This record gives sequence, structure tokens and C-alpha cells, in this order.
Amino acid sequence: MSRTLHFEIFRYNPMDPDSKPHMQTYYLEEKDNMTLFLALNEIRETQDPSLQFDFVCRAAVCGSCAMVINGRPGLACKTKTKDLPDKIVLHPLPVFKLIGDLSVDTGTWFRGVAKKIEAWVHTTKTFDPNALEERMDNDLANEIFELDRCIECGCCIAACGTARMREDFLGAATINKIARFYIDPRDERTDEEYFEVIGTDEGVFGCMGLLGCEDVCPKQIPLQDQLGIMRRKMAIASLGGKVGKLFSVFSKKKK
Amino acid sequence: MSVDTTVESFKGHRLAGWLDWLQMLTGLTLVCFLFAHMLFVGSVLLGAKSFDFVAAFFERTYLAQVGGPILFFLFLLHGFLGARKMPFRTKEQKLIVRHAKMMHHRDTWFWVIQAITGAILLVIASIHMWTVLSDLPITAAKGAHELETGLWLIFYLLLIIVGALHGCIGLYRIGVKWGVVTRAKRTKALKCIYYLIGVYVVVELLNLLRFYFLKV
Ligand code: SF4
Ligand code: SF4
Ligand code: FES
Repeated sequence: MSRTLHFEIFRYNPMDPDSKPHMQTYYLEEKDNMTLFLALNEIRETQDPSLQFDFVCRAAVCGSCAMVINGRPGLACKTKTKDLPDKIVLHPLPVFKLIGDLSVDTGTWFRGVAKKIEAWVHTTKTFDPNALEERMDNDLANEIFELDRCIECGCCIAACGTARMREDFLGAATINKIARFYIDPRDERTDEEYFEVIGTDEGVFGCMGLLGCEDVCPKQIPLQDQLGIMRRKMAIASLGGKVGKLFSVFSKKKK
Repeated sequence: MSVDTTVESFKGHRLAGWLDWLQMLTGLTLVCFLFAHMLFVGSVLLGAKSFDFVAAFFERTYLAQVGGPILFFLFLLHGFLGARKMPFRTKEQKLIVRHAKMMHHRDTWFWVIQAITGAILLVIASIHMWTVLSDLPITAAKGAHELETGLWLIFYLLLIIVGALHGCIGLYRIGVKWGVVTRAKRTKALKCIYYLIGVYVVVELLNLLRFYFLKV
């Protein structure tokens, strides 16, 4: 008992001066175990070779297929058509630069914020390629890995009301990334230095707790919890001086 | 790109953090007061006498004369801090509403509700505080008398509903933002908040009705 799916897909090619943003309709017979990835490819193969969208891994690991599916950002390759109604409306992710139709450039955006927060381990130690790798506690390694699972798909950014209103807002994935370096003992940055990077209205204090990010993240990264933790740490760091010292018992970075 | 050359020291950076503390603490104080208020006014359910007794207590101890204006100040401060996060430009307002519609997402709507109720409260709660504090002492008779004009009844109805929404949703949002309401506790916290809204509205409605039918 297969359904006929009714697709409404956003079309616009910014490179073509004659192109105007509009919605285009396609119909497609639903197949067993069909994902949006399969559906879009079938549309492109059989109906419209000009349709632009991105895929690489088709297994929810590369993060390139994120789009707005019936209003909610999500991964097309991870979304089964059987979980959707007959009518499926697809838009490209907002916030990011549109390449064409459903394809957006998340890379430039993520690179920009990574540079801003200096998303690398800051250490004074010189690297010795011959030395044995330093050991890390297994639980801690798991904790870091949990946050490192982010695939930079951009869903959390597109789902964030703050990010849409304020172009300079760092976004949940970025704050999660800072949290990842924060708990990494190899990163020698102090609370003060972290504060410089995210203790602003563009960083943790800009987050309005709308939890769009939390509710759409296809990798279930613990964004809500990390945002809360970082806000608390940075708020305590902002007290500075004596008051901050008083609280710092709770916030000292474990090293 | 223009560079802000007024930045001179690290201290200035801290402002965002301080303001965030203030917004949370003023908010928390106001929610606590909201519920305390519900209980004080609730004394009218026992009769005009007990209400007058409670009111007199607050005046005798100068809590009303001193605490009132302090509260008013905290209220204005909270409004000002909240306004920093408000979309003032129509472009932003349209964007956030379009965004909330696109997402059909509860917490995003919560925020829209917060922004709207916050703006309404700034006006009507100011009026309420002004009329009460500028005409001490507070007595049950005055309250009952006031309600004889239907307009005040509508005014208080609005105040109750808007106040309950803003206060309780605000409480939930503080919990979320500061990491007290974690992923694991979210569903439960929401339930509590709904109950809280319900309790507040019901009790204050009863208070209002009691005043309305009060014969003094
Ligand atoms: S945090 Fe989640 S939604 Fe955001 S970019 Fe990473 S994987 Fe995507
Ligand atoms: S919780 Fe913060 S980062 Fe996440 S969607 Fe809301 S405002 Fe954006
Ligand atoms: S194609 Fe890689 S995440 Fe969907």
C-alpha cells in the first residue's frame, strides 16, 4: 500500500539572475524504507536533473544533508519518509549562505566560529613525535568524545531563534565545542581566557534557552546541559575578584 | 568594519555576565514575590478582616512603604534587562515569529510569549503597583470598591493571566538557561510549571471573585 508523496521543494539559484525563490511541486511513489536521501535522488534522476542538494555519507556522519523538513531542521539521510505525512515541504537551512535550492554552505560558517573560539588545544608543551602519547582517564575520554560527536550539520544553528536574529551569535554547536576543550586537560586555557571567548552576549549570555538546538540535534549532543554548564561557569567567572574566588570552589577547572 | 576603540580593559567584558546574573536574580525575586502576593491577597478568602489584618501588618512594619518601592525598582530593572534581549526592529520581530511558526516548537513559542507578556506587564503591573502604593493603606474595602467599575475587573483578569504566564514560564526558562533543568529533568519541570500556572491563576481568580462579591 504505497503512498504518493507530495513534495514542495524550495527552488532558487542565486547564480542565475533570472531565478526567483519559489516552491516547486513533485510527486513520487513511496518505496519501502525510503529515506529523504533516496527520494531526492530519485526525483533528480527521473524528474529534474537541475535540483541541487548535498549528500556524502548517507549515514548521518558527514552532516552535509541537513535541511528544513516540514519546518524542522534535520538530516535528510536520517529521515524516513514513512515518518512524514503525505506532504513533505523542504527548505534549505536558514542562517547559512545559500548555494542553490536545498544546498547551503555550512563550512565557511563553522570555520569562522572555530577561528573565533580558537577551537584547538592550547598548550605550551612542545610536541615530541617520538614520545609515548599521554594517557587519559577512560571516563574523561568518553566525556570528551560525547561532545566531539558533533557533525557540524548546522541543524542547531538553523533551529536557534537567537542565531537567526543575531548574526554574530556563536550558536549551540560552538558553545558545545568550547565545552569540549574546557574539559580537555591538555588545553591550558584558564577560566578567564575562556571567558574572553564566550563570556559575551554573542556567546553563552546571548543564548536565550529556547532549546531549538536541543530538540533538533540529530546526534543528540547534550546541548541543553552543556549550555547550562557553560553559562554557570562563565557567570561565575564574570564575578571576578573576591566574590568569584568564593564561588570558584564550584567552578575550578579540573586539571 | 569599524573597530570599537572604547574597549580598554578586561573588566568591561564582564558586564554581559553581571547583567545576566541581575536578570536572573531580579526575575527570581519577582517570581517569589508573585507567589507571596498570591498568599497575602489570599487572606481575603478568610474575610475582609483577615485581609486588613495582613495589610496592616505590612504597613506597621514599613514593609509596604519601603519594600514596595524597592520591588518597583527591581521590577523596572528586570524589565530593562529583559528589553536588551527583545527584538525591537520589526525585521527581527517578523523573523522570530516566522521562525517560531516554522519550527512549531514549544520552547520557541515560550519565548515569544515571554517577550509579549513582559511588555504588557511593564505597563499594567506598573499601573497596579502605582495605584496600590500611592494610596496606602491597603484595605479590603478599597479593593472591593475599585472592582465596582467593570474596567478594573478586566484589568485584574489580564494582570493575573499575564503575570502567571510570565512568572512561571520565566522560572522554567531560568532553570533551563542555568542548567538546573537538565535534559533528564525537562519533562518533569514542564509539568510542574503547568501546575504552578494553574494554581496561581485559580487562587488569584478566587481572590478576585471574593473581592468582587465583598460587602463592606
Ligand atoms: S550540535 Fe548537533 S545539530 Fe548542532 S551541528 Fe552538531 S550535530 Fe548538528
Ligand atoms: S538554547 Fe540557546 S543556542 Fe539553543 S536554540 Fe536556544 S538560544 Fe539557541
Ligand atoms: S549525507 Fe552525511 S549526514 Fe546525511
